Amino acid sequence: MRPSPLLSMWGGTNISLSLGFFLPLLLVQVVEIVDEYQTACIPSSYTNNDERVQYIQDVNTNKLCTRTLTVPKHMKQPIFVYYQLENYYQNHRRYVKSRSDKQLLNGDSTSSTDTETCKPEQFLGELPIIPCGLIAWSLFNDTYSFTSGGHAITINKKGISWKSDREHKFGSFYPQNFPNNLPNNQNGSLIGGASLDPNVSLNENEDLIVWMRTAALPTFRKLYGRIDQNLNAHTQLSVQISNNYNTYSFDGKKKLVLSTTSWLGGKNDFLGVAYITVGSFCIFLALAFFLLHWKHPRPLGDTKYSLSRGHKVGKPVAN
Amino acid sequence: MAAWRPSHRGRHRLDHYRAPEPDLLLGGHRTIFCNEFEKNQGFKFKGNSISTTKYNVLTFLPKGLFEQFRRVANLYFLMISILSATPVSPVNPITNVVPLTLVLSVSLIKEAFEDWKRFINDKAINGTAVEVLRDDRWKKLPWRRLRVGDIVKVNQDSFFPADLLFLASTNQDGICYVETANLDGETNLKIRKALERTWDYVDEERAKDFRGEIQCEQPNNSLYTFTGNLVIGKQTLPVTPNQLLLRGCSLRNTEYIVGVVVFTGHETKVMMNAMNVPSKRSTLERRLDKLILILFSVLFTMCLVGAICSGIFINRKYWYLGLTSDVEDQFNPGNRFLVASLAFLTFVTLFSPIIPISLYVSIEMIKFIQVTQFINKDLRMYHKDTKTPALARTSNLNEELGQVEYIFSDKTGTLTRNLMEFFKCSIGGVMYGTGVTEIEKGAARRNGTSMEEVESSKDFHEKYFNFEDDKLMKGAWRQEGSPELCKEFFRCLAICHTVLPEGDELPDKITYQAASPDEAALVTAAKMFGFFFFRRSPTTIKVRESHIEKIGRIQDVEYEILNVLEFNSTRKRQSVICRYPNGRLVLYCKGADSVIYERLNDRGNTFKDVNRDHLEYFGSAGLRTLCLAYRDLDINLYESWNEKFVQAKSALRDREKKLDEVAELIERDLVLLGCTAIEDKLQEGVPACIETLAKAGIKIWVLTGDKLETAINIAYACSLINNGMKQFIINSDTKEIREVEDRGDPIETAQMIERIVSKKLHDSLQQALDSERTQMGLELALIIDGRCLMHALDPQLRGTLLKLSMLCKAVVCCRVSPLQKAQVTSLIKDGAKKITLSIGDGANDVSMIQAAHIGVGISGMEGMQAVMASDFAIAQFRFLTELLLVHGRLSYIRISKVVCYFFYKNLMFTLTQFWFNLYTGFSGQRFYDDWYQSLYNVVFTALPVIIVGIFDKDVSIANARKYPQLYKAGIENAFFKWRILIVWALSAVYQSIILFYFPAKAIMEGKNGSGRMLGLWDAGTMAFTCVVVTVNVRLLMACNFVTKWHLISIFGSILAWFIFAFLYSGIRNQLDRQGNVYKVIFIIMGTWYFWLLIVLVPICSLALDFCYEGLQRWFAPCDYQIIQEVEKREGSPVDGFLLVESPRLSAEEQTSIALAQLPREMSRHTGYSFDSPCFDSFFASQEGVSMSHRSYDIARRASMRGPRRLSSDAGQDSPLYL
Repeated sequence: MRPSPLLSMWGGTNISLSLGFFLPLLLVQVVEIVDEYQTACIPSSYTNNDERVQYIQDVNTNKLCTRTLTVPKHMKQPIFVYYQLENYYQNHRRYVKSRSDKQLLNGDSTSSTDTETCKPEQFLGELPIIPCGLIAWSLFNDTYSFTSGGHAITINKKGISWKSDREHKFGSFYPQNFPNNLPNNQNGSLIGGASLDPNVSLNENEDLIVWMRTAALPTFRKLYGRIDQNLNAHTQLSVQISNNYNTYSFDGKKKLVLSTTSWLGGKNDFLGVAYITVGSFCIFLALAFFLLHWKHPRPLGDTKYSLSRGHKVGKPVAN
Repeated sequence: MAAWRPSHRGRHRLDHYRAPEPDLLLGGHRTIFCNEFEKNQGFKFKGNSISTTKYNVLTFLPKGLFEQFRRVANLYFLMISILSATPVSPVNPITNVVPLTLVLSVSLIKEAFEDWKRFINDKAINGTAVEVLRDDRWKKLPWRRLRVGDIVKVNQDSFFPADLLFLASTNQDGICYVETANLDGETNLKIRKALERTWDYVDEERAKDFRGEIQCEQPNNSLYTFTGNLVIGKQTLPVTPNQLLLRGCSLRNTEYIVGVVVFTGHETKVMMNAMNVPSKRSTLERRLDKLILILFSVLFTMCLVGAICSGIFINRKYWYLGLTSDVEDQFNPGNRFLVASLAFLTFVTLFSPIIPISLYVSIEMIKFIQVTQFINKDLRMYHKDTKTPALARTSNLNEELGQVEYIFSDKTGTLTRNLMEFFKCSIGGVMYGTGVTEIEKGAARRNGTSMEEVESSKDFHEKYFNFEDDKLMKGAWRQEGSPELCKEFFRCLAICHTVLPEGDELPDKITYQAASPDEAALVTAAKMFGFFFFRRSPTTIKVRESHIEKIGRIQDVEYEILNVLEFNSTRKRQSVICRYPNGRLVLYCKGADSVIYERLNDRGNTFKDVNRDHLEYFGSAGLRTLCLAYRDLDINLYESWNEKFVQAKSALRDREKKLDEVAELIERDLVLLGCTAIEDKLQEGVPACIETLAKAGIKIWVLTGDKLETAINIAYACSLINNGMKQFIINSDTKEIREVEDRGDPIETAQMIERIVSKKLHDSLQQALDSERTQMGLELALIIDGRCLMHALDPQLRGTLLKLSMLCKAVVCCRVSPLQKAQVTSLIKDGAKKITLSIGDGANDVSMIQAAHIGVGISGMEGMQAVMASDFAIAQFRFLTELLLVHGRLSYIRISKVVCYFFYKNLMFTLTQFWFNLYTGFSGQRFYDDWYQSLYNVVFTALPVIIVGIFDKDVSIANARKYPQLYKAGIENAFFKWRILIVWALSAVYQSIILFYFPAKAIMEGKNGSGRMLGLWDAGTMAFTCVVVTVNVRLLMACNFVTKWHLISIFGSILAWFIFAFLYSGIRNQLDRQGNVYKVIFIIMGTWYFWLLIVLVPICSLALDFCYEGLQRWFAPCDYQIIQEVEKREGSPVDGFLLVESPRLSAEEQTSIALAQLPREMSRHTGYSFDSPCFDSFFASQEGVSMSHRSYDIARRASMRGPRRLSSDAGQDSPLYL
């Protein structure tokens, strides 16, 4: 059995073509709204990043900010609300490992060996932090609330995390000694991101669970919640954003994303484009080879024909 | 005479290539008291137990590991493993420890297994029972209990337990017969003779009283020398190798012998000889080292880039990284240099899989299987007559066989059968023998004169004898001109030799045990002439002589053998001094013409010049000649000489040299008798094989000790040289040189030769270059003799010689010494950097075999010296075709593919991690889980590549033979050159980009139906799945030949990954350090893009390879690809008998073609040239016409048919080649 490259090329072409053509058809229905708000939500008097950081870290400033979004097309429920961060290295080696899966699962065993990996957010003073580590400490804390024509739109935050995470990776116990829960800069501990409600157990805090599934690339989206109602075209959505999270010091972007979904997922441009590209490339190749064969026929298996080294393969030996 | 195979070649055999042990040179000696153990205790002799194991229970681990870590790759991984245990490592130490452990354990298990076998073997040997004299009785003891000085009794057919001094035997005259097959492979029996003084100590009653003191040399490795004295009472007796029974030999034809243990255990000569020959490494493997070096530099670059960027990236502005003032060094923005340095180490551990750790062990396994399953079991290389299969003695050089460009071949026994037949002789200036050699027939035919075919009237053909002339047979010689000379001639044949008769003492029952077939031929000739040698005792030879007094009268005559002056390569002659029953003392001598002619007396040799003409004639007919002479001795002269001889014989130092000097005194004033001519037949299929190899682009050099004429003729016979070739002959045997020589000044002679050689070389080179320019396709041949070669190999001429010989298609070196053979081989090997193969059968080829890249020994016929030194042993020269064109070629293709593939898959895998790190702030974060990375090389991609390495085959075996030109790809290194590697590397870069970006990008925006996002480990697992699929499918694409094993292993590997993924991420386990990938596989498999990616990514990444292969195949097909197309069109031929029948030509056409092929240039020696049976078919195939085969040719082909048909049963589709 000998695979012929031309034949394989045909096979590849066919698979790619069939998938490449019908995939984008499905994606057409997906509607997506993206709003970049990190600059807009800071008063314009704060011009450089240092001032913006000061503004963001000042407890006393009012960080509420209202954005108006227009729904371009009819959006069928469920509509997913994401926040997208850019230039945020959740995949940095120091960051990725700064957590304790043991502690997250069995909150009671807070011995220092189990939280060894959590450095530098291991202890608050002498007391172990639950949940420890940089990831939990830097939890995203912008909040969004939507109103449309004066009616509040409820955001369902249940089920935004993977079930296996809730059930198998996070235990039913409560945050303790969490530095973000302290008033600002008390005990000299830096405030990172969100505080954790001490009355909500870890496996119920889906925002935390989502955040702790670290992203693969420095530009990433995280699911914030779900809107379980349809939005008609041209609806004006008013979003009240509590702009708390500091991305200004490292020039990171913050975006709010609303998206519908198909059976396949969201508006996944990349895969569709890739399929179309590969598919067309294969068609092109197949055509090219056809033309080639037509214009420059090469007798197969002609032993006199060998361009590679300019010598003839020659005649068989007579023995 | 060089044409004579020395009868006792063994004597000087090892000394050619092994320097003697220092002990031997220093000459310290040991004293042994026989049968007195207490006295010997002071000397602390070693015991007789041996151990050939490398390790014992305690040393196995340390020593074995040490051996393993001498490999750079292993050491590197050890360092990486240690590094990965430090905090700078992004990966768990397990990542590097697991593959290293697996690789090491495979190697160690193999080592342990081999050592265990050796141990069991040693145990068996040490436990063998032998009868030893203890407490005045024979007692059965195991060998290991033997002590120096013990008296032992060895029974018939058992092995000697140690090196023994031979005391007594049950045979009369204190002789015994030993077989030395274990030592040198020679199966003929050798005689050993005890000292007369000790003959009586044969039973235990006598033996227990034996007391003596042996003073002998210290243990050494020289098998054929031994000097010592036995002191009994006040008598000192010289002891020679003749009284030494070596461990490893066995006793034959003797009920039992009694001996004293001299050397024990590891001090025995055979054990001292068991040195480890340094193993050769193949060129491909050495190039592989370079590749690894390049990978190291790629690794270094990647790490450096990563490290520098990491130092630049780290910044306190990324507040979420918690880079407080007391952050650890590797992330401290305050000291960027330190950050970069530590990051460098981090990257080294992360990117370590770029070095393919399992490559070496995989290649070892592949080669081992190639050797044991394919080469050693190939029926086509099984010689039925001698029942000898091919044997690969090393598995290091398989792929080297596929790249050979130069073959250096010995002549006798390699190209020829080494089956000597007495063919002609010249006695007293009259030539006898009506036979015509094929060489002569060819020459005659070319000259247009026909030779009458004398139909053989004999119905019975005696082995070793192919002589026909009624003038000599059945006593007819009495009627010849000089019957006395004839009588002396025959007696010389019957007496002057070292042959042993075996079996019944009847002419048709007896078999002769001779060290060289020439001797057997000569003794057989004597028998046929009526001088039947039938019994040998150490001091006598019995000859049944017929027709002496009158026709028909038969009488047994006993000749007393007084001295035997043995053959060696410097003497080139052998003499026997015998006493006739009537008291006449005669010295019979036979040897090379040059040495005999020097020693002839001035008077009475009237036919000297006629004889020389005959010698030349025989030589040109391809016959091996030997001069015979005798001398009557005066009793006084003899007695005085014999004293000197005995003195020399008992000398402790330089015995050989002294003996030579003494022999010189008596071997003079000889009377010439005549000369003998022995035919050495070409081996079956040699011309065809050489022709095929030439077509494969291999250049064949013949290096022989023969005379110029013989060498040229043989070269013609095996279609190495033909008359279409321009020949450059550089010869020292010219008139002008001889004239200078006669003046007797060696310095002048040397200068003269050097001048001539230098001039000739430069002239020839000039001519060669000219003809290269002007006459396209004119083939050149160089013929050079040993003396000229000596000068041509001088540093200042070496370059010229090299250039000239590279231009020549065929080179013949004649009259070369073993050392020169090795020098010529090295010239090409080191000077031209080409891959060389040496093939030979005798001890004189050992140096050449060891010097070449590949040494091939011809097994089955003669001694085993060449085989013992070789890398491959085959029974027939023609098997080279199979070995090179089939096994070598396939092995080269397979190993190249395996190495390229390893290179690609590791580079690709590592690059994906590198691209990922561009997006992690160069932090050295890993993209894959530790265990994915550690099992990638050793589990998920390990087996298929081994299967390919074992089974891949580009064209069918039959076509590989049919189109020898396919072999050229190997010579040009077409499958493992940098261009190929660059293509693989580019493909790896491209694929790694696809394999990283597609999964990473796909999940960036993506959501599944529930809108939930995927994270880092989801992307990693997805990418890894794609990598495993892509890499395995890529291998499938690279296969030329797909069997079910390929499919099972490839899809099995992919399946193995999935099974692993389910188990590993399905169960919460300790191996998963942080629970990273826990449940990951279930999550990603629940999303659609996992399934889309797994289709898209491999197609997309392999598309480029598809294109490249398709375009390359279309526009620049390799030879093998064209043959593949032929196979596709015509179907793969079944391997069978591939003789292409040729139409017959009429007699006129034959003659005209023969005339057309007359030599263009006649030189002195080409007059004796001939065309061989295959000579015209060689041309015919070049021109596209075919000619009929002549009668003898057909006969020959018919004889070839038998074994071929047998081998055709082992077709390509037999299990051998799946």
